[in-house]
Amino acid sequence: MKVTAVQPPAIRGGFCPPQNPFATRFVRPGAMPFLFSPPIDREALVAKLAELQWRGAIVGPHGSGKSTLLAELLPELNRVGRRVVQFTLHDGERRLPIALSDRALSDAQTIIVVDGYEQLNAASRRTLDRHCRRYATGLLVTSHEPTHLAQLYQTAVDCELMETIVDLLTRGDRRFVSATDVERAYCLHGQNAREALFSLYDLHERRWRELHERL
Amino acid sequence: MARTADPTTHRLPLTSLLHEPLISITLDKGQQVYQPGQTVRGEYQIDAVEPADIRAVELSVLWYTEGKGEEDFAVHYFERLTAGDMLATGLHELRRFQTELPNSPLSYEGVVVKIRWCVRVRVFLNNGKDGVAERAFQLGEVPYAQAVLP
Repeated sequence: MKVTAVQPPAIRGGFCPPQNPFATRFVRPGAMPFLFSPPIDREALVAKLAELQWRGAIVGPHGSGKSTLLAELLPELNRVGRRVVQFTLHDGERRLPIALSDRALSDAQTIIVVDGYEQLNAASRRTLDRHCRRYATGLLVTSHEPTHLAQLYQTAVDCELMETIVDLLTRGDRRFVSATDVERAYCLHGQNAREALFSLYDLHERRWRELHERL
Repeated sequence: MARTADPTTHRLPLTSLLHEPLISITLDKGQQVYQPGQTVRGEYQIDAVEPADIRAVELSVLWYTEGKGEEDFAVHYFERLTAGDMLATGLHELRRFQTELPNSPLSYEGVVVKIRWCVRVRVFLNNGKDGVAERAFQLGEVPYAQAVLP
């Protein structure tokens, strides 16, 4: 669009700040699609979970896409008739924030989803497991480490995947972040794509401002 | 059109680009910068979808934060059209909107956090999906923050 309005003083030469494609808004679970490795897709993964009697774990290191995968699976779980009750646990949350006696958690159509299962203490895990077995309630968790549940999917990040993610987020506009930058971010943060993307956020901010200063 | 590669246009979450109707939003005279108390005026149009498939259409004028951390937003102006409203007036009709802008928060291009203003149109379809388009604009003229990064 041609900008015909009066520009604010900080904009020189008609330069408009580009949106940072690595902002939380674009990289948070649900905003960014999970990139499956074919032939697996979300339908196949939900079918596999059904075979596992709706009990499974998504395992992977920090920032490797577990929550993004969950966000991708939840609509599909709803579509196949599961009622999803989700808990997202943060640092230090050792118990579920709701009593398991709640009726909403006690039927065979329900699947309890715990994002950050490793936060729960051993007693809470045992109680949750017993509850789910007793009522045939499903249980899908994400964890940094293998759990007693069957592993539904292992998330992993490599440099090629990082490059694909960055290409997707930038929609191919690589003026501010090069392939070398992505490789460097991957080398620095390894499997933690979330941190790598945040470092690219910083880089993007610096680069467009440098360009703006030159104009 | 709100969904272009125009760098002045705010991007949408990638998932919202799937299965969405065509939505265009324009601001009068192509205005991009507004001052507090000024009225933002414009129009929007919906296409590439059957009227019978639409459940509701919502227009919001809002601000939101964007950055690396938690997000926040507030809706300044809101209007909702039901399927009946859309059928009564015709789907492809240009629909006008206007609202007086508040004194704050002003648009801000920070490094860690930014404050963005936009007009957002969300079309809810009967199949449970929805489509979203945004037209960004700037409130006030706060200079950009300078990046001091390692």
